[in-house]
Amino acid sequence: MMKQAIIPALLLAVGVLIPLLIGENPYITGILITVLMMATLASAWNILGGYAGQYSFGHAAYFGAGAYTTMIILSVSDTNPLVAMAAGVVVAGLIALVTGAIVFRLRGHYFGLASIAVAEIVRLVVLNLEFTGGAQGILLTDVKFYGLDLNSKNPFYYGMLIALVLTLGITALVRRSRTGYYLQAIREDQDAAASLGINLAYHKNKALLISASLTSVVGSLYAVYIRFIDTHAVLDLRLSIEIILTAIIGGVGTLWGPLFGAMLLVPLAEILRSNVLGEALVTHGMVPESSPVGMFLKEHLAHAHVLVYGIITVLCILYLPKGILGLFRRSGK
Amino acid sequence: MIKHLLNVNHVNKYFGGNVAISDVCFSVEEKQIFGLIGPNGAGKTTMFNCLTGYYPVSSGDIVFDGKKINNRRPDEVCRLGMARTWQRVKPLGSLSVLDNVMVGAFAVTRSLHTAEKMAREQIHVVGLDDYAAQLAGSLPIGLKKKLELARVLATKPKMLLLDEICGGLNHTETWAILDIIRSIRNSGTTIVFIEHDMKAVTSICDRIVVLNAGEKLAEGTPAEITSNRDVIEAYLGGGHHA
Ligand SMILES: Nc1ncnc2c1ncn2[C@@H]1O[C@H](COP(=O)(O)OP(=O)(O)OP(=O)(O)O)[C@@H](O)[C@H]1O
Ligand SMILES: [Mg+2]
Repeated sequence: MMKQAIIPALLLAVGVLIPLLIGENPYITGILITVLMMATLASAWNILGGYAGQYSFGHAAYFGAGAYTTMIILSVSDTNPLVAMAAGVVVAGLIALVTGAIVFRLRGHYFGLASIAVAEIVRLVVLNLEFTGGAQGILLTDVKFYGLDLNSKNPFYYGMLIALVLTLGITALVRRSRTGYYLQAIREDQDAAASLGINLAYHKNKALLISASLTSVVGSLYAVYIRFIDTHAVLDLRLSIEIILTAIIGGVGTLWGPLFGAMLLVPLAEILRSNVLGEALVTHGMVPESSPVGMFLKEHLAHAHVLVYGIITVLCILYLPKGILGLFRRSGK
Repeated sequence: MIKHLLNVNHVNKYFGGNVAISDVCFSVEEKQIFGLIGPNGAGKTTMFNCLTGYYPVSSGDIVFDGKKINNRRPDEVCRLGMARTWQRVKPLGSLSVLDNVMVGAFAVTRSLHTAEKMAREQIHVVGLDDYAAQLAGSLPIGLKKKLELARVLATKPKMLLLDEICGGLNHTETWAILDIIRSIRNSGTTIVFIEHDMKAVTSICDRIVVLNAGEKLAEGTPAEITSNRDVIEAYLGGGHHA
């Protein structure tokens, strides 16, 4: 027990100390916030997808539910952001319960398909309503939280860190509980699970509810951090896909896999997006700038990070079914 | 007083136009080892699937422990005390043997500690102690069958439905399992036993029902069944080694 706690404690200490070490560096802090955010989202997704084996392709819906609920409340009142966040959890929870009630009665892989459909419905509804800001989105000019300087990124760094610790903590608790065993049994074989007394629909709903609630919390944090949201930013299918890829590449059904995935993918995406690689190749004369390859590198590599995610995922599925984390583990446990 | 733990009354099961079970009735007494036999495709597994809530019956009644269970879900049936094993084993492949059996034990306890203790007991009963930490998916078939048994025993059933638990096992393994089944019965669990090996069936069962093409062909003690002309006909006529 003591030994098991050492590595998490060290990681946590590093997480707490990093902002002090790097000082006020908004660029780096911004990337770290994204790492924490994707790690938390992928971990929350993992409770449902990794442990219960129910792959959601629409987790953006819960992220967006948290983000929109929080922004709508904060833009019309000066409610405590934590209360707005809680309201987001309620909305996300309701969407999850309705989805689950319909889909988990059916056997087979309907959930994956239905999760996309639900997310698209949520996106279209938000896009076409008045009070959600429609296509324009919502801008938040001012927000207060216990006198913290919210123009600095550090409070959001710590906010995301708390969300990650909370999510990993819940994952660890679930994993070592009857519910955790039941979710894994459902993932392995639904008929066998039912024959051992497991109420399939109930436990899938439970996993979905936990997963959706945590996802919504991250959505709320993100919204207040960015202070501007629209459907592209918080309800896009691309976000759902990135969450899944982060979990798969790190290692589904493991406690630490999603964090690993985020630590790998977010910096990689940043390198591609800022195109330091493409520009370096061109400016150092390795590739002539006017050549088709040079033009491609300069112009398009920045847009390639989703493609690169995709390629890494395919390679992972083929060669590392247990994700990057699987590399470090002996077979067995 | 004799108590009937299970009553099957005029059960029919159709798949589209195919009749898989046709008007079958039987009753199982408490603490009996009750054999359900018949050639391939006779409807034995289908009967188990109806009893445990995997298939809705087309008509008829199933009464278990005084309750009508026709339309119960499989997990409800298990929690009422009727548990089954699978002819085609269903290990939770990427979990360890211990974890598999713990999943069963969680039907009767929420505590991780108690579940592990109960699981280890059942693992010991079937003799899988040395394999407790192994992944269930990596076991050979004989051990997977034992795992099925341990896992379902951990749910502490009143009635145990065993679907060809000895299928694919050699002679020694079969007799080891039969010994375990006897001791399970002696500790108070009622057993319904599907098996093709006639020697095994007649040596262990108190009473036997023979199904053939979905219909009940005969019912009686092992001695009555082995001397029944219809039964001999069905088995030999179907080209089966009995
Ligand atoms: N889900 C299903 N859909 C359609 N037909 C089915 C289904 N399940 C079983 N059957 C049919 O019901 C009949 C009985 O099959 P069942 O599996 O119950 O036989 P069995 O007595 O268990 O045979 P075996 O000894 O080979 O295991 C067969 O004709 C089979 O094809
Ligand atoms: Mg069968």
